[in-house]
Amino acid sequence: MLEQIEQALNESLTRMLNMAAGLLPGMAALILALFAATFLAWIMRVLLRRSLAGIRFDERAAGWGFPLLVEWAPSRRPTLLVTRVVSWVVIAGGFLIGVSAFDVSVTSQLVHSLFDYVPNVLGALVVLLAGTVISRFLARSVLIGAVNMNLQYARLLSAGVKWLVMVLAVAMALEHLKIGAGIVQLAFGILFGGIVFALALAVGLGSRDAVARSLEREAGRTPAENAEEPFRHL
Amino acid sequence: MSGDSLPREAGDKLQQIGSADVAIGILPIPGAIGENTLPAIRETLSRLGGSVTCVILQSEGPDAEGTPATVSGMFPQSAPGASLQSFFNAYRTVFTAADQLKARACCVLGSDSKTVTADWIQRLLQPALEMEFDLVTPHYAHGPLEGLLNSSIIGPLERSLYGLRIQNPLGPDFGLSRRLIERMVSAERPHPVAGIVSTAARAGLTICEARVGARLYPAMDWANVSTLFAEITGPVLQDMERNAPFWQRARGSHAIPAMGETAARAEETEGADVGRLLDSFQLATRNLQEIWQMVLPPATMLELRRMSRLPAAEFAMPDGLWVRVVYDLALAHRLRTISRDHLLRAMTPLYLGWVASYALGLQAAGAPPAEQRLEQLAMAYETAKPYLISRWRWPDRFNP
Repeated sequence: MLEQIEQALNESLTRMLNMAAGLLPGMAALILALFAATFLAWIMRVLLRRSLAGIRFDERAAGWGFPLLVEWAPSRRPTLLVTRVVSWVVIAGGFLIGVSAFDVSVTSQLVHSLFDYVPNVLGALVVLLAGTVISRFLARSVLIGAVNMNLQYARLLSAGVKWLVMVLAVAMALEHLKIGAGIVQLAFGILFGGIVFALALAVGLGSRDAVARSLEREAGRTPAENAEEPFRHL
Repeated sequence: MSGDSLPREAGDKLQQIGSADVAIGILPIPGAIGENTLPAIRETLSRLGGSVTCVILQSEGPDAEGTPATVSGMFPQSAPGASLQSFFNAYRTVFTAADQLKARACCVLGSDSKTVTADWIQRLLQPALEMEFDLVTPHYAHGPLEGLLNSSIIGPLERSLYGLRIQNPLGPDFGLSRRLIERMVSAERPHPVAGIVSTAARAGLTICEARVGARLYPAMDWANVSTLFAEITGPVLQDMERNAPFWQRARGSHAIPAMGETAARAEETEGADVGRLLDSFQLATRNLQEIWQMVLPPATMLELRRMSRLPAAEFAMPDGLWVRVVYDLALAHRLRTISRDHLLRAMTPLYLGWVASYALGLQAAGAPPAEQRLEQLAMAYETAKPYLISRWRWPDRFNP
C-alpha cells in the first residue's frame, strides 16, 4: 500500500517536473521576446522622438488642429504621447509573440484571436484620427466663414459641425471594433439626430432674434445697397 | 483652356496676323469694352505716329483686320462675382499672345471702359514703346476710401519689399515692354499679376508710373470680402516667398518716374459708416482668438484685445501694430502654420478693423489728408522691415 502511494506521488512529481520542464523553453522564449521587444521599443522611441522633434511635430500637431491630442498627451506633449503609444504597442506585440511560444492550444488560440483583432483596432484608430482631423478642419472652416458673414452664433455652428463629425467617427470606429454593433447604430442615430435637433432648437428658438438680425443684415442687402457703401477694396 | 495656351481659333487668327508692334489686351470684366474703347485706341495709335501696327485682344466682339486688328474669343467673359483666377489667367493669355506676335509693347486694360480714354492708353503704352521703360504701372486719382486693399497692404508691402514707390503694383492696367513680356511667359512662371513688379525689379528693368486719372472702382460685396482678401493677398504672399532672397537685400525706397499730370482727388470721407466694420472686428476678436494666437505674437494679441474694448469713437489701430500683423501673416503663410485659405480668411476681420480705424482717423478734426496718412503707413512698413527679415530668417526665435 505504502509502496503504491509512494509510486503515485513519484509519478505525480515526475509529471509535474516534466510539465515544468516543458514550460521552461516557453518561459525562456517569453522572457527573450519581452527583452527583444523592450529593446526594439526603446530604439523606436529614441528614433521617433528625434525625428518628431526634427519635424517640430508638437507645433505641427497644434497647427493641424489637435488641441485634443495635446490635452490627452502626458506633459501636454504630442511627441511624448506618440512615442509612448508606439513603444507600448511594440512591447505588447513582443509579449504576444512570447506567449504564443507556449505550446498550449488555449494560449495559441487566444494569441491568434488577439492578432486577428489587431487590424480592426488599427482601422478604428485610423477612422478616429481621420474623424478628428476632418472635424477640426470643418469646424474651423465653419467658424471663420460664419464670423466673416457676421453671424453672432458662429461658435455654436462650428461646435455643432465638430461634434456631428466626431460622433460619426466614433460610431464608425466602434463598428470596426465590433463592439455592440446594433446598440452603436441606434445610439449613433439618436445622438446624431439629437445634435441636429439641439442645434435647430438652439438656433431657431434660443438665438432666434440674433439669427433673424443676422439674416436680415446679410441676405437683405441688395447690389444697390452695396453700391452705396463708400468703401472700395479692390 | 489654361492660362498659357491660347484658344485654338484665336491662336490661328494670331498666326495669320503674324506680328504687330503693339498688343492691347482688354480683360474680360463687366464694362471693359464700351463705345469709346475702339475710338480711344485708334486715337492713341494716331498719336503714336500712325504707322504702329496693333492687335486688340478681347473676349467678345467682331474680328477685324488692318490696324488695329481685332481678335475676339481670347478669354471667356467673367460673370460678376466670379473667381479672380480667370481674371489672372486672362493676363497670362494676353502675355502669351503678345509674345507670339513679337509685340514691342503690350498694354493691358482692366478698368471700366467709362474711364478709359486715349490719354489713359497712351500714357500706359508710350513709355514702353518709345521711352525704353519696361513696366508702366497705373497711378489713379482715387478717393481716400477707394482701393483700400491696395492702400493698406499691397502697395506699402511691395514698396518696403522692393524699394519702389509704386501706387498700384497689381494694376489692373499695365504697359509692358518686349523684355518684360518674355520674362512673364518664361519657364519661371511668375504670377501673371502679383509677379509683374517683382519680376521687373529682380531683373533690374526700368519701371515708371502713368498718371491715368480717375478710375471706377467696383462696389463692395460684403458677402465676399474674405474671398476677395484671400484671392488678392494669397498670390502676393506667394510671390513674396518666391523672391525672399531678393527683397531681404533691398533697403529703403525711392520714387519712380511718373508720366502725365497729377489729377485732383476728392477727400470726401463724410458719411462713411464704420459700424459694420467694427462689428466684424469685435465678433472676430471674440471668436477667432485661438486661430490668431497661432499666427500673432502675445503682444499683438494683447493690443487687439485692448482695441476690441474701445468705444467706436476712440477706435484706432496703430500703424506699427497693423504692419506687424501683415508681416506675421506673411510669415504664417510661408510656414503654413494653418491652412492658407483659413489663414487669409481669418485675417480678413483684422483688415476690416484697419479700414475702420483709417476711416475714423480721416474723419477726425485736424486729421492729415489721406495721401499723407498713407505715406505714414508706408513709412511704418519700411521701418518695421527689419522685424520681417528677422522673423523670416529665424521664425522659431522667441517673439514676445
